[in-house]
This record gives sequence, structure tokens and C-alpha cells, in this order.
Amino acid sequence: MDGAVIGPCYRAGHTQGLCAMKGFAAALLIWTLLSPQRAGGEAWPTHTACRNGNLQVLYQSCDPLQDFGFSVDQCSRQLKPNLNIRFGMVLREDIEQLFLDVALFSKGLSILNFSYPICEVDLPKFSFCGRRKGEQIYYAGPINNPGFEIPEGDYQVLLELHNQDQATVACANATVLYS
Amino acid sequence: RKSLVQQDQGWHIEATGTTELGLEQDLRRAMSPLQVEEAHEHCLLFLVWGPPKSRQLQRLSLTIPGWVTSVLGMAPRVSCFLLAVLISASCKAIPSSDPKEIPDTLPNTTEVLEFSFNFLPTIQNTTFSRLINLVFLDLTRCQINWVHEDTFQSHHQLNTIVLTGNPLIFMAETSLSGPKLLKHLFLTQTGLSNLEFIPVHNLENLESLHLGSNHISSINFPENFPTQNLKVLDFQNNAIHYISRKDTHALEQATKLSLNFNGNDIKGIEPGAFNSKIFQSLKFGGSLNLSIILKGLQNSTIQSLWLGTFEDTDDQDLTSDTFEGLCDMSVESINLQKHRFYDLSSSTFRCFTRLQELDLTAAHLNGLPSGIEGMNSLKKLVLNANSFDQLCQISAASFPSLRDLYIKGNMRKLDLGTRCLEKLENLQKLDLSHSDIEASDCCNLQLKSLRRLQYLNLSYNQPLGLEDQAFRECPQLERLDLAFTHLLVKAPHSPFQNLHLLRVLNLSHCLLDASNQRLLAGLRDLRHLNLQGNSFQDGSISKTNLLQTVGSLEILILSSCNLLSIDQQAFHGLGNVNHLDLSHNSLTGDSIDALNHLKGIYLNLASNNIRIIPPHLLPALSQQSTINLSHNPLDCTCSNINFITWYKENLYKLEDLEETMCANPPPLRGVKLSEVKLYCGITGVGIFFIVVFVFLLILLLIFSVKFILRWKYQHI
Repeated sequence: MDGAVIGPCYRAGHTQGLCAMKGFAAALLIWTLLSPQRAGGEAWPTHTACRNGNLQVLYQSCDPLQDFGFSVDQCSRQLKPNLNIRFGMVLREDIEQLFLDVALFSKGLSILNFSYPICEVDLPKFSFCGRRKGEQIYYAGPINNPGFEIPEGDYQVLLELHNQDQATVACANATVLYS
Repeated sequence: RKSLVQQDQGWHIEATGTTELGLEQDLRRAMSPLQVEEAHEHCLLFLVWGPPKSRQLQRLSLTIPGWVTSVLGMAPRVSCFLLAVLISASCKAIPSSDPKEIPDTLPNTTEVLEFSFNFLPTIQNTTFSRLINLVFLDLTRCQINWVHEDTFQSHHQLNTIVLTGNPLIFMAETSLSGPKLLKHLFLTQTGLSNLEFIPVHNLENLESLHLGSNHISSINFPENFPTQNLKVLDFQNNAIHYISRKDTHALEQATKLSLNFNGNDIKGIEPGAFNSKIFQSLKFGGSLNLSIILKGLQNSTIQSLWLGTFEDTDDQDLTSDTFEGLCDMSVESINLQKHRFYDLSSSTFRCFTRLQELDLTAAHLNGLPSGIEGMNSLKKLVLNANSFDQLCQISAASFPSLRDLYIKGNMRKLDLGTRCLEKLENLQKLDLSHSDIEASDCCNLQLKSLRRLQYLNLSYNQPLGLEDQAFRECPQLERLDLAFTHLLVKAPHSPFQNLHLLRVLNLSHCLLDASNQRLLAGLRDLRHLNLQGNSFQDGSISKTNLLQTVGSLEILILSSCNLLSIDQQAFHGLGNVNHLDLSHNSLTGDSIDALNHLKGIYLNLASNNIRIIPPHLLPALSQQSTINLSHNPLDCTCSNINFITWYKENLYKLEDLEETMCANPPPLRGVKLSEVKLYCGITGVGIFFIVVFVFLLILLLIFSVKFILRWKYQHI
């Protein structure tokens, strides 16, 4: 994940030997510095949100600080309105105001972008609105989505939850596989 | 390399930042531009250091001993390796994240300490002993189990302690004593099940106590618990099902208390529990049975009562019986968001007569019954996020005293109709934003008789066709917001004519026809105009423009208007401007000429196309109080030396120095302007003249020699 970039040997006056030495030293360094930690894994694991026949929804947390748990109760290509989800995480920010940004891609092309308020000062839609930094939350309930049919194909979805200061509350890289 | 050797004491780098990019930027800042390239080779060592999960380590401070720097001077490649070994050794000494104690680098004068998500299993009197000036201490999720005696003994100034999300096992009797004025205590989600757990010593000054997300089932405070100064008591998401008279007795001493019971399933309240008590606010959000609560609140006086529900809470339809209890109490403001009304009729509101504010946000309404009686005193009505088809369906005539009306975010296309609000003679504030409103001839019939209206929000709607004098019916308007609503105005019309009291007008992203010189005519007292995101003809503000009719402007926003130039005379009518935002355009340095007559203003020229600012324009900048020139492709060659010198002399006036960087020449690209050092001797023109001069001198010499020789030998 962390590409260790080594500066090229571009300076005049550097002999080949020095250059080679530099490369060797750098390789050694990176090995010394990173190998013990890298064994722990550099990214959060990919989880399965739901799986049903040939439809599969996978996600991975893109918040470098923490992972979170998420699942969808039904997994069908005819997405029902008002789906039930389960969601568990530790809040790292207050969520009196909470917004969801969704970006949908297919074959690397952007199809859809939208932003949706989940908690606002004058309209806390969900019971968890207004909870504080440090609280562990578990939500099992409806999400008030419209129903729609998923066309065949693979989709990448980037979901980001942030508060009024643009501080990340949660971030997910999701993949919808339907064949 | 030279600069490294020179420092005998060692090479000290401090970097803060949570990402690699942040670290790199900080390291670059920590070193002078001369060192940047040199250090970059070594920096990479720092940048790749640290596993991805531990990047929350806020501060990375590395001091490399003097002897290493001398080695660096002699054999950089070898020292590079040495350096890395040193760093990796020192890094391993520190745990990968979560320091176990307060870092020594924190100054003793620290007043606000945000220490959340660290690891402090035990806190005791030595833990924070050095930081005696602490005022605010956030220890959220530090895995604290024990708070031992006298932990905060020497922290007299401490005002707020946040212990949210810690698995507390025990707090000693004197664990919170010490602070002279401890006002706010957060014990949210700390596993509390009994209020006896909280040490009562030194809580006399407590103003807010947060006990949400615990296992509390009774709000019965211990006998000696001081409540006299309590203003906020938060019991969100606990397991409180019953409130008895004995429970509330302990709160007798508190005045103007705000109590939050959101997320508790209240099944019963003992009659009289809230008898003749006065509350600032009471929240029973998500409660399943409202009638139980309203009956339980008999004879109480409440400023604001929050009875809303949520998407994920089971529904129970509200009937007129539900509100029976409301007749026996005094409530000023009530919120019933997201509820469903069964058989909504005028009798549903029988007991709402003394109400001042009613919030029916997202209450699945498509109309309010006509003929509601007795709601004469209602001052504020919130009907956001409902499903009205026509504005008349709210039956406005029932609320003759209404001052504020909010119909924001209507779920269907809202037809304003005609004269729907004409009975609201006292209306001062009207919010109709985000409601999919479309009208071709706006707004005199739609806003008929709103003579007292001061604030109107029609932002984020569908296209509106504005007539000449479109707001004739609301002559008292002071603030008008039309942002992101496409406005159609026929050419010489002046829709805002006669709005003599209008002070704030937001026309951002309205797709205006800015060539209409009369567009803003009649706005005699306008102070604040936002024209962000509109375009001007040919990307230029010419000598005659629509701003000439608004001479009283103080704040003018012209950002993101695709401007290429501004005529020197364009702002001549605007003598009062003190805030001018021209950011996110394509203006060049020459446009500064238009600001010649303005003095002491805040000037934002960020994200433009300014490369060179000629010396004759510098006085126009000098006379302003604050200037932002960030994100411009500034030239850092000798042809801009006057400006660069001026810049360094006026740093105190400049905003966003970190983002004001050179774009040219390539070696200085990305270097902060404040750090550029230029040595400009003779310029190209100078050299040319000198060459010409020397050439002429030689010619003269040759000719004179020739002449002398000829004169000397002429007689031969």
C-alpha cells in the first residue's frame, strides 16, 4: 500500500557505484523499517455486507483510523424500499450533524454522485443523531431508501459519512458484484 | 549539505500531521528552501516510517546528534543508512501508537488538551501533575479503568472533564476534587448503572452532567448530590422506564433545568412528579406513548418540549386524545417531528392554545385542517419536509399572530398559489427554500399582504420569473436569499425596486443576466451583495455595470464569476466597501487598478491568474487591511522583485501564507513566497543600455584617436 519512493539518481557527479549503494541502502532501510509492521496488514480487511446467489456486496473501510461493521438484511437485485441494515462502530466525531456522500462508478466511469443529510440540527432523522465522539453505536433498522432494480454488472461505490466540519465519521469502498 | 554541517548542535526536525502528505509538507516547512532538495533524499526515510494504523501519532520529533550531521557532510550515502538505523531504533522505543502518558513535549502552560483515543488505564495524581493550567481536558476513549484519589488535586482552573467511552471500574471519593469551578462533566457510555458511582465531592458548581448511553434505570440521585447549579442533565439512551416523585424531588433545587430523556422508553410517570416545576427544556424523543408523558407532566411549566420521533422508532399514530394532558400544563414550544397524525382535524389542536411555537417537521402532512380555533398566540410554525401541493393547504388563517413560518424541503412540487398567506399580517420570517417552487410571475400575488416581512428565503428552488418590482408586497424586507434559484428577469426590469430597507441580498448561482444595468436599481440601503457564480459579459466588469446603483455596499462577493478583467473605473461608485471577494476567477495583476480608491478593506484574490504585480499597483494593495493572494501562479523571478519585496514587508496583512506559492521559475515552484530570496542585480534592459553605452564610448574613442592622429600629422 505504502509505496516507498526512492529519489532517482539524477544529480550530476554521482557515480554509478554511489547510485547502486544508495539503492541498496534504501532497500535495506525499507526492509528494516517496514517489514515488522507490514505483517499486520496495511489496509482494513474486505468484509461481505451481503451475499445471495450471484449478487454480492463487499466493502472495505477507507478511514485509516478504524474499521466498522455493516450488513444488509436482504440481498436481492430488486432492492426493496426501506431496507434494514445493521451497523456498528465507534464514533470519532460528534454527529449532531451528519451527511452522507455517495459516488457510484461502473467500469471506472462516474455514474452518480449525491449528498444526503442524515442528521441536521433542525431534523435529526435517526435516533442515533446527536451522539458524541467516543460513543460506540450499534444501529439495526431501516434506512428509508427508495426501491430500485440493480442492472447487471460490477459497481464501485464510495460512501463517506462526515460531519459539519468535514471530519470523516466513516468511509467505505464498496463493490457490488452482480452477474 | 553545507547547512547541515554548520549546525553543531544537531539537526532538529519537528513534524506534525496525520498523513504522509501532511508529514512531508511539514518537513518541508521545517527546513529552509535551500535544504529542501537536500533533505528530500533523507526525508523519504521519515515519510515511509510508521505502520499505517499508527499514523494517529500526532507529533513526530526527531533530533539527530551533531556527529551524525558531520558524517552526513562527509559521506551522505552511508550516513543515510546510519540515520535510518537511528530513526528506526528511536521509533521502536516508542509504542507504535497510543502513548501511555502525557508527552514531555507538551508545554506546562497547556490549557486545552485533546487527548482522546490514547491509552491511560489508570489516571492518578501524577498523570497530569505537570499541566496545572488545564481548563479543558478530553480523555474520550482512553481505556481508563481507574480514576484514583486526588487525580486533579492541583488543577484549580479545570472547568471541563470528558470521560466519554471509558470502561470505568471505580472513581475514588476525591478523584474529582481540586478544580475550583468544575462546570462540565461527561460520563457518557462509561458503564454507569447507579448514580451512586459518581463521586459527589466537588460537584457543587456543576452546570452540565452528561450520563447518556449508560445502564441507568432510575434518575434518583443520592441524598447529598448537589444539583443547585445544574442546568443540563443528559440521560439519553439509558433504560429509564419510570419516573417517580421521589426521583424528581432531588432536582427541586435546580432552576431552568434542561433534561434529556431521548431514547428511553418511558412507560410511566407518577402523577405529580413534575408538579409545579419549571424546566428550560425537556426531551422525550423516540417515546412510544406520548399521552403517558403529557399526563405525567401535569402542572409543570416548560419552555421547550421535544416529543419528536425517528425513522427507526416504531410508529404510533397521534390522535386528539394523545394531547389531552397538554391542557393541564404550560408549554411554550413543542416539537412533534416525524410523527403521524391519525384523523387530523381542528380538534387535534384543542389543547395547543397557549403554544408559541409548533414544529411539525416531516409529520407526513399534506395539509392542515382549516378552522383550528384558539391558536391565536402561535408565533412560530415549522412545517419543513412535509408534502403539501399548494401553499394554501396550510390554512394560514388559523395562525393570525404568526411571525416565523418555515416550509423548507417540501417533498413535492410546491405551488405558491395566490394570496395564501395574506392573513399573516405579522409575518416577519418566511423560509420556502428547497421546496421545488416554480413560478413564472413572482412574487406580488404569491406574497400578497406580507407588509411586515423582513426575511425571505427562496433559495434552492426551480426557476422563478421575477416581474418588475417583484417584492412590492413586502416593502420591509431586510434580507432576501435567492441562492441557487434560476432567476428570469426581462432586460430593463428592476425586480428589487422599492426594497429600500433591504440590507442583505444573496443572488449566488442565480444565472443572472448581469448586462441588465437596472437589475439592482432601487436598493438604496443594500450592504451585503453576493453575486457568486454568475457570469458577466466577456468575463469582464466594464465601466458601466449593474453595481453602480448600489453605492451603499459594504460586502461584495464576486467569486467564481469567470472574470478575466475589471475596468479601472468599475467600482468607482462603491466607496463604502470593506470586504471584497474576487476569488476563484481568472483575474490578472492589472485588475488591482480597480481598487485604487478603496482603503482598509479585506480583499480576497485567491485562486486567480495573478503572475506579476507591477510596482505602480502596489500602493493599491498597501492601503488595504487584509489581502489573500493564495493559489495564484505567482512569478518569483526578478521581473516581480518589487512585489516580492513588498510581500515580505507586509506579511502581517496577508492571509493564507501557507498557500501563497511561486509557480515560476520551475525550481521555485511550490515554494512559499515568504521564503523566497531573490538577488536581482542588473536587469536585462540595464545590461542592454550598458552595452550600448560602452559601444558608443568605444566608437567615440576610436573617432577621437583618429581625429587626434589626423590633426597631429595633418601638416606632414
